[in-house]
Amino acid sequence: MVIENPLPPFLEWIGPAALNWLVVALLVGVLALAGGALVAMLRSGPLAGLRVVGHTLAEAAVDLVAMSPRRVWALAVLGVKESISRRIVWVFAIFLVALSFSGWFIDRGSTEPARLYISSVLSRTSFLILALMLILSTFSLPTDLKNKTLHTVVTKPVRMSEVVLGRMLGFMLVGTALLGVMCAISWVFVIRGVAHTHELPPENLRKPEVSGPIAVGGLVGYTEPSALFPHRHRVYVDPQGQVNIEPEYGHTHPAQAVASSRGTTYVLGNQEGMLQARVPIYGKLRFRDTNGLDTEKGINVGDEWMYRSYIQGGTEAAAIWTFENIRESDFPDGIPIEMNIGVFRTHKGNIEKGVTGGLAVRNPKTGLRVEVELFESAEFRIKQLHIPRTIINRRNARMVQRRANLEGGGVEVSPPDVDERLARKPEFDLFEDLVADGKMEVWLRCVEPGQYFGAGGPDLYIRAADASFTLNFLKGYLGIWLQMALVVGFGVMFSTFLSGPVAALATVGALLGGYFSDFMRQLAQHKVYGGGPFEAFYRIVTQENLITELEPGIRTEVTRMADTVAEFLLGAIASILPPFGEFSYAEHVASGFSVSGDPYILVPVVRMLGYVLPVFLAGYFFLKTREVAR
Amino acid sequence: MQSDVIIETRNLTKVYRDFWGRQKVRALKALDLQIRRGEIFGLLGPNGSGKTTTIKLILGLLFPTSGEVLVFGKNATEVTKNERIGYLPEESYLYRFLNAEETLDFYGRLFNMPAALRRQRIADLIELVGLTKAKRRPLKEYSKGMTRRIGLAQALINDPELIILDEPTTGLDPIGTREMKDLILKFKDEGKTVVMCSHLLADVQDVCDRIGILYQGELKELGRVDSLLTVREVTEIRASGLNDQAKSEIEEVIRRHNGELISIGNPTTSLEDLFLDIIHQSEAHPGRRVGGGASNGH
Repeated sequence: MVIENPLPPFLEWIGPAALNWLVVALLVGVLALAGGALVAMLRSGPLAGLRVVGHTLAEAAVDLVAMSPRRVWALAVLGVKESISRRIVWVFAIFLVALSFSGWFIDRGSTEPARLYISSVLSRTSFLILALMLILSTFSLPTDLKNKTLHTVVTKPVRMSEVVLGRMLGFMLVGTALLGVMCAISWVFVIRGVAHTHELPPENLRKPEVSGPIAVGGLVGYTEPSALFPHRHRVYVDPQGQVNIEPEYGHTHPAQAVASSRGTTYVLGNQEGMLQARVPIYGKLRFRDTNGLDTEKGINVGDEWMYRSYIQGGTEAAAIWTFENIRESDFPDGIPIEMNIGVFRTHKGNIEKGVTGGLAVRNPKTGLRVEVELFESAEFRIKQLHIPRTIINRRNARMVQRRANLEGGGVEVSPPDVDERLARKPEFDLFEDLVADGKMEVWLRCVEPGQYFGAGGPDLYIRAADASFTLNFLKGYLGIWLQMALVVGFGVMFSTFLSGPVAALATVGALLGGYFSDFMRQLAQHKVYGGGPFEAFYRIVTQENLITELEPGIRTEVTRMADTVAEFLLGAIASILPPFGEFSYAEHVASGFSVSGDPYILVPVVRMLGYVLPVFLAGYFFLKTREVAR
Repeated sequence: MQSDVIIETRNLTKVYRDFWGRQKVRALKALDLQIRRGEIFGLLGPNGSGKTTTIKLILGLLFPTSGEVLVFGKNATEVTKNERIGYLPEESYLYRFLNAEETLDFYGRLFNMPAALRRQRIADLIELVGLTKAKRRPLKEYSKGMTRRIGLAQALINDPELIILDEPTTGLDPIGTREMKDLILKFKDEGKTVVMCSHLLADVQDVCDRIGILYQGELKELGRVDSLLTVREVTEIRASGLNDQAKSEIEEVIRRHNGELISIGNPTTSLEDLFLDIIHQSEAHPGRRVGGGASNGH
C-alpha cells in the first residue's frame, strides 16, 4: 500500500485545519449573506430587504439554538419509517445475492486473495449503501413537498432546523443499521472465504536434496493445494518431528500429524495470517547522495509520479529512515521491518532475481552503523526483514557521521568526534548499541551498480504487534459510514431547494468533484502539464502536445486569461468540496494495515463534521427562505 | 390581557412570479381582514379567488409580497404561533405509511407533548373521530372519509385555540358532514376560533358567524352571515292557524279575524344565491366592492 500523503497527527493537523475551515466558512458565509441581501433588496427594496435579512438571521439564531430533541427525534424516526416503507429490504436482497455469487469471481490463485475478498465486500457495500442513501436523502424532502405532507408538519411548531436535522439523522440511522448488518454478513463472508486447509500426504515427503543446515536429516515436501486455493506450502519435518511450514502469500497453517497405514499424513489446519491488521511505525526519511552527503531528496529517474526518490546502486547513496520512541519492551526479540520499495533498472541484469540491497542500522547519537542483512528486492509486494536483537559483527560495522552541506559551503559533520572502538565489538545488542533515547536509523542501500532503489516515507516501516483484524474490518465500515454521512448531508441540503433527480445529480457532482479535488487544486496551482481547462481544450483542437509552449499570440493570451478565471474557480471549488476518497479505509483494510485512531479515525471524523455542519446550515437556510407551499 | 383579534391581515398582497421574477398571477390584492376570538369565519370564493393563498399566508407556508399577517399578534412566519393552531388541509396531507395512532403520536411529538398526555389525547381523538376500529391500519388503506377524520384528529392534537379548516366536509358522507358541522359548533362553544373555507355553501351557511367572499384576489364581501343574507326590500309574514279565507286576505284578515301573527320581517336568501350574485356583480363591475347584504328578493 502506498500512502502518498500521510495524515499528520491530529494535534498537529487540527490547528491549521480549523483556521482554514474558519476562513473558508467565513468567506462562504459572507458571500451567501451578500447574495441573500441582494436578492432580498431586489425583491423588497433596499431597506425592507435589509430588514428581511436581519429578521432571517435573528430567527436563524433562535431556530438553531432552540431545537427540540423530541421533535428532531420524531422527524428522524419518521425518516426511518419512510425508508422502511420504501422497501429497503430489496437493497439487502441485492447485496446478499451479489455476495453469494461474488466468490465465483475472486481469483484465489492471486498473491493476495484476502485483499480481493476484503476490497470486493467493501466496494460492494459502499456502492450499495451510498446509492441507497443518495436516493433516500435526495428524494425524501422533494416528495414531501410534492405530496404536501410537509405542509402538515411545518404548520406545527417545528423549526426548519429540526426538519433538516431530523432528516439527516433519520437517514443516518437507517444507513447505520443497514451498514451494521452488511458488516456482519461481509465479515462472515471474508472469514469463510479465506478459510482453507491443506494436506501433506506421506508420498509428498522426500529427503532434502540440497546440503546445508536444513538438510541434516528430516523430510521436505509440498502440500496438496486446498479445494479452493491452488497454492502449496513447502514443509520441512525435522528429525525430531517438528513441522516447519514456509509461509505462502503471507500466511501459514498449524499442522497436525495423523498416522495411517500409508505413513504419517500432516493435516494443515485453517490459515493463519491472511487477515492482518499491521501496525506500522513510520520514520522520517532523508537521503544520502552519491557523495555521501545528506539531502532531502534522492534522484529523479524520470518517473512522472514524484512520490518516490531514487538512490543509485553501488555508491554512497542511501535512503535513511529515522525512527523514534523505539522501546525495548515493545520489541524484546528484535525489530521486524517491512518495506515496499520501487526498483528502477538501467540494465536488465538477472530479470528472474530481484536487485540486491543492503539494510543497516545506525545509532544516531554515536554514529555506529551495523550492516544487518543483504536482501533481494521484492517488487510490487511487501518485503519482510528482521533486525535481530543480537547482531554479529561480520559485515564491517563502522562509525558513520552525519554529513550535511552547509548553506555557505562546506560540510557539517555530526557527531564531531566518534569512538572507533565501538565498531570493533564482536556482536552488538540492538537496544544497547544502536538505539539511543528511543531513536534509531535504518539505512537502505542498493548494492548493484547501475540499478536504483526508490523510496517514499511510508515505504519502509517497523511492524509493531498486529491489531485485531475484526476491529480493523469494522473501521473499514466506519470509513463507509463517514462517506455515507457526507452523501446524506449533501443530499438533504440539495433537496431543500432542488427537485429529487436534480438534487441527486448535484450531490453526485459535489462528491465526485470532491473526489477529484486534489487534481482540481493541482490544476489551479499550475502543477498539471498542458495548462488549465481552456488551454487543454485548445491543445486538443490544435493537436498540440502537452509539453510544447504555445505560440505567442492573441489566441494564446485569451486562452490563458480564461484559464486564470477557471483556475481561480477550480481552486475555490476544490477548497470547499470534501475530499471524498480520503474518507475511505478500504485500501488500508484490504492491504492488511491497521487504521490508526490518530490520525486515521480522528482526522476524517472531525473533517466529516467540518463538512456536515455547514451543509446542515446551508440546508436550513435554503428551507427557511423558501416558500414551502409554492 | 389577551387581544380579541386572533388573525389580522393588513394590506396583504401576494404575487406569484416565475423563475425570472416576472409576475405570473396577483393572487391576493391588499386584503384587510380581522378575525376575532371565538367566531367561526368562513372564507368563500370560486376557484383561484385567493382563499387557499390567504390560508397559506396565515399559516406561514407562503410569504407576503407586501403587507403583513399577524396571528395571535405575531408574524405568520413565527414558529411559536403554531403551538396554538390546528390545521386541517384541503386534502389530508398525511404520511400514508403510518397508522392512525402513529400519525397522532408523530404530530403530538412535534408539539413536544409528554408521553402520558400524548397517549391520552390520541385515545380521546381516535374515539372522537370514530376510528377506534381502524386505528392500527396504515392510512394508505383508509377511505377518503376516514382520511379526513384522521386529518381532523391531527389538527386537534394540541387542543388548539385557532382551528383552520380547509374544505372540512369534503369526502364526508351526510352523517359525517353533520358530525363535522356539530363539531365546529362545539369548538365555538368551547371558545375556540374557527376559520374555514369551503365550496359547500350550505355548510358555511349552517355554521359560520361571519364570512368573507373573495373574487380574483379581492375581498368582495365581508360581514355577519345573518346580516348578509337578509333581503331588506321585502317583508315576510309568517303565520299559522289561519283558514283558507283568511290566507287570501293576509295581514288585513289576520287582524280582522284575530289570527296569531308569528313573525314579520325580511326574508333571507340562500348563501348560494348571495354568492352567485356577488360573483356576477364582480364580473360586471371589476374592481368595485359589492354593497353589503342581499338587495333583491331572491
